Amino acid sequence: MEASQSEANPNPNPNTNNNANRNSIMSSMPLWPTIDGPLGLTEEESLRYSRRFYKFGYALLPWLWAVNCFYFWPVLRHPSSFPGIRRYVISSAIGFTVFTALLCSWALTFAIGGEDLFGPVWEKLVMYNLADRLGLTASSSSLWAKEGFHYQEAFNVTILGPPVLVLLHQRFINMRSLIQSI
Amino acid sequence: MAQNRRSKSILDSVGEEIIRIITPVSICMFMVVLMVCVLNTDSSDSASSSVPTIATIAYTETGSDSWWDKLKGALLNSLVFVAVITLATFLILLLFYFRCTRFLKFYMGFSAFIVLGFMGGEILLFMLEDFRIPIDCITFLVVLFNFTAVGVLAAFMSKMAIFVTQSYLVIIGVLVAYWFTLLPEWTTWMLLVALALYDLAAVLLPVGPLRLLVELAISRDEEIPALVFEARPVVVEDSVSNDNNNNTRFISTEDTELSAPLIDHRITLQLNRPEDALSSESWSLERIGLGSAGAIKLGLGDFIFYSVLVGRAAMYDLMTVYACYLAIMAGLGITLLLLALYEKALPALPVSIALGVLFYFLTRLVLEVFVVQCSLNLLMF
Repeated sequence: MEASQSEANPNPNPNTNNNANRNSIMSSMPLWPTIDGPLGLTEEESLRYSRRFYKFGYALLPWLWAVNCFYFWPVLRHPSSFPGIRRYVISSAIGFTVFTALLCSWALTFAIGGEDLFGPVWEKLVMYNLADRLGLTASSSSLWAKEGFHYQEAFNVTILGPPVLVLLHQRFINMRSLIQSI
Repeated sequence: MAQNRRSKSILDSVGEEIIRIITPVSICMFMVVLMVCVLNTDSSDSASSSVPTIATIAYTETGSDSWWDKLKGALLNSLVFVAVITLATFLILLLFYFRCTRFLKFYMGFSAFIVLGFMGGEILLFMLEDFRIPIDCITFLVVLFNFTAVGVLAAFMSKMAIFVTQSYLVIIGVLVAYWFTLLPEWTTWMLLVALALYDLAAVLLPVGPLRLLVELAISRDEEIPALVFEARPVVVEDSVSNDNNNNTRFISTEDTELSAPLIDHRITLQLNRPEDALSSESWSLERIGLGSAGAIKLGLGDFIFYSVLVGRAAMYDLMTVYACYLAIMAGLGITLLLLALYEKALPALPVSIALGVLFYFLTRLVLEVFVVQCSLNLLMF
């Protein structure tokens, strides 16, 4: 009990063990289900968030499942404390491992098998050839630029331009709260 | 006694706060230098069609122009760019003034999507082509889609894991900075100088758009809808407030006493949490961090332009990289000092860019000759 309490506290402190003995009811479980500790979510919100992450992960997003497991890591470490959240986090972990295993096996088969396994289709599926043919990178012969109008440049200016400008607009440094206790 | 305890904790945490902002800036610069060194080994100044043309609208630099022409062209380019940025900032200010915060938030998520998806994808393709990694398009698309989707979520949601949000912000900074290093050389340097000067005006002058934005946000007690890097606040615990730790989720009446001084300082606060910033979590956070000096927030544009400077220095030689890195860190330290002195939003670009540009040209013109001669004569390596 004390061990889990001292792990769950963000800054373990020899005094907390004494307090844990006194407040054993309150301190029998870690307080914060997220990895950020007191800076993260409360338990009710954590349930909503983990459920939403779990459901969205089904849209071919194993990385979201992994982030779910990472974010609610204390739930995995102290399984008895957060039963509701635990269900979703464990399912996310299982989903992530399964999906990654499948994806890795496909990618490795593709990379190692090469043309011997796939035949001429390999050349068509490999990404760098595809990028060349579609003219996605500038160094390739772009079939867009063959016409008079440079689609790539227009794309750069209209689609890429404004978001980048929006990202650039904030260029100052500030502090949230400053030396208020002095 | 309590005063001593609090001042002790300020001194304890100020070093860590600075480290927590310097580390991501350094990581961003390091990754940009790495990408520049890895991806630019063959092409020197070939103006490819993916060069950000919005910054070369006025003039496209070619290799054969004279010195004076290049200077004029670069000046024109940077003036156009600064004008466009001013327009964009005023537009954002207008939208914020008319409380279109949802649209702004959506557009921030959209720009994160564009940067991560298209620019990230393009840079990944560069790397795949350079190293001939045999990835097929299905895996590539799935990986890119995952990466982008989680990045957009990290940009949208304010309650994502802090580490994930910070990493995605740094990655966005790296991608945009790399894209900017593809600009022609003179334009880049002139652009940096112009932006540093413009920043001084925009943040310090009363009519500057950035200053108006900050004041509007403070007066309304909202956060500016933007992608801002906030360093994780240092949580300093006094041993006195031990039993408070067990009550941290409950808002007791002690809260009001300790948060009363915070209310006074809210005029100078820039709350990073969204409109429900007065929710219980942030108050308990302020309480836990009894001695915390708050979180330093650095805009993403600063990350980007620091990294552009260092990336452009990397295109010359690594010696300039070291010099510019040290100069930028010194500038950042000076800016933090000024921030602690003046306690209001300050432009982070001018000091660092000035020192960086100065050190770049000094190194390139003076130091390099010295070091090369020393090495040739086996005096110092």
